[in-house]
Amino acid sequence: MADWEIWTVIAVLAVATACTRSGLWMVGHRVTIPRRVQEMLRFAPACALAAIVAPDFMLGPQGEVELAVTNPKLLAGMVALAYYLWRRNMLQTIVIGMVVFTVLRISNVFHNSL
Amino acid sequence: MESGNDVDAHDPVAWREGFQVGLPTLFGLGAWGMVVGVAMVKSGLTVLQAGVMTLVVFSGSAQLASLPLIAAGAPIWVIFATAFVVNLRFVIFSALLAPHFLKLPLFQRFYLGYISGDLSIALFLQRYPSAAPERGKLSFLKGLLYPNWVAWQVGTLTGVFLGSAVPMEWQLGFAGTLAILCILVPLVVNSAALCGVLVAGIVSVLAHGLPYKLGLLVAVLVGMFTAIAVEETRGRRKVRHG
Repeated sequence: MADWEIWTVIAVLAVATACTRSGLWMVGHRVTIPRRVQEMLRFAPACALAAIVAPDFMLGPQGEVELAVTNPKLLAGMVALAYYLWRRNMLQTIVIGMVVFTVLRISNVFHNSL
Repeated sequence: MESGNDVDAHDPVAWREGFQVGLPTLFGLGAWGMVVGVAMVKSGLTVLQAGVMTLVVFSGSAQLASLPLIAAGAPIWVIFATAFVVNLRFVIFSALLAPHFLKLPLFQRFYLGYISGDLSIALFLQRYPSAAPERGKLSFLKGLLYPNWVAWQVGTLTGVFLGSAVPMEWQLGFAGTLAILCILVPLVVNSAALCGVLVAGIVSVLAHGLPYKLGLLVAVLVGMFTAIAVEETRGRRKVRHG
C-alpha cells in the first residue's frame, strides 16, 4: 500500500470509530434499540472478528488450507483458546499463545517451512 | 440552565472515586495497548503511522482488524466497512451511556463518546444505573475515562517503539490475532452466535482467494444471517413448546 493510502485508511478508521462510538451521543435524545436490531449489532462484530482471524490460523504461508496439528499457528491458537475459556485472562492468553507458537516455530518440530 | 450547570460542575471527590474504580483495569489496558502497538509496527506501518493511528482511532479491535487488510492491500472501502462492523458493538454500549449526558454541549458529547470504552461504560453503569441527572456524575465519568485514555496511549506507544526494535522473524504480529481471539470469545453470547462465528470463519477461509478481500465481507454476511436464522428457529421452537 502506498503512503497516502495508509493515511487515508487511518482517517477512514477514525470516521468509522466516531460514527459508532459518538453517533448516539450526538443525536442527543434517548434512543431505544429494538431487541432484534440489538441482536444483529451483537452478532455482526463477532462474525467479523472470526472472519478476520480464521485465515491467519488456518492458512499456510502460501495461502493453502492447513488444518493439521503441524500448523504452528493453529496449534498455538487452540491452546490459547482453551486457556482463555479456562481463565478468562487476555494477557496471560496472549503470552501463552505466543510462547507455544514461538517454541514450535523455532524448534521446527514439525519440519514446517513457516 | 442554572441547575444544569450545577449538576455538571467539577466534583473532585467523584472524580477521585471514578479514578479509583477504574484503577485496577488500567494496567491490563496498558499491556493490551502494548500488544496492539507491537502488532501495528510488525504488520508494516511506520512508527509515525502507528503513532498517529492510535492517537486518532482509539479502537483496539478496529485497529487490529485493519492490519491484515492493509498488509494485503485491500480496497479502502472494504477496510472501512470491516472497521465499522467490528465497532458496531459500541452502538449498543453508547445507547446505554449517552442518555445520562443529554444536556452537555455537542462537542463535549462527541469526545466523551469517542473515548468511552466498553469497560469504562460497564463500571459507570454499575455506579449510576439510572439516567437521571445527578451531581458528580460527569466528574465520575471523567475520572474513569481520562486515565483510561492515557493508559491506553502510553501502552500503545510503548508497544510501537518496542515492536520497531524487534526483528520481523519473531512474528510478533501473531499476538494481535490472539488478542482478537480474546475479544471474540465474550461476544459469543449464545448458540446462535456460535453458529454464526463458526460459519463466518469457515467461509472466510474458503473464500480467501476472492479479489479485493471480498471474502471477508461475504463471510461476515453469511455468518450474521446464519446466526439470525438459528436465533429465529430457536425462538419459534421455544414458543411452540412454551
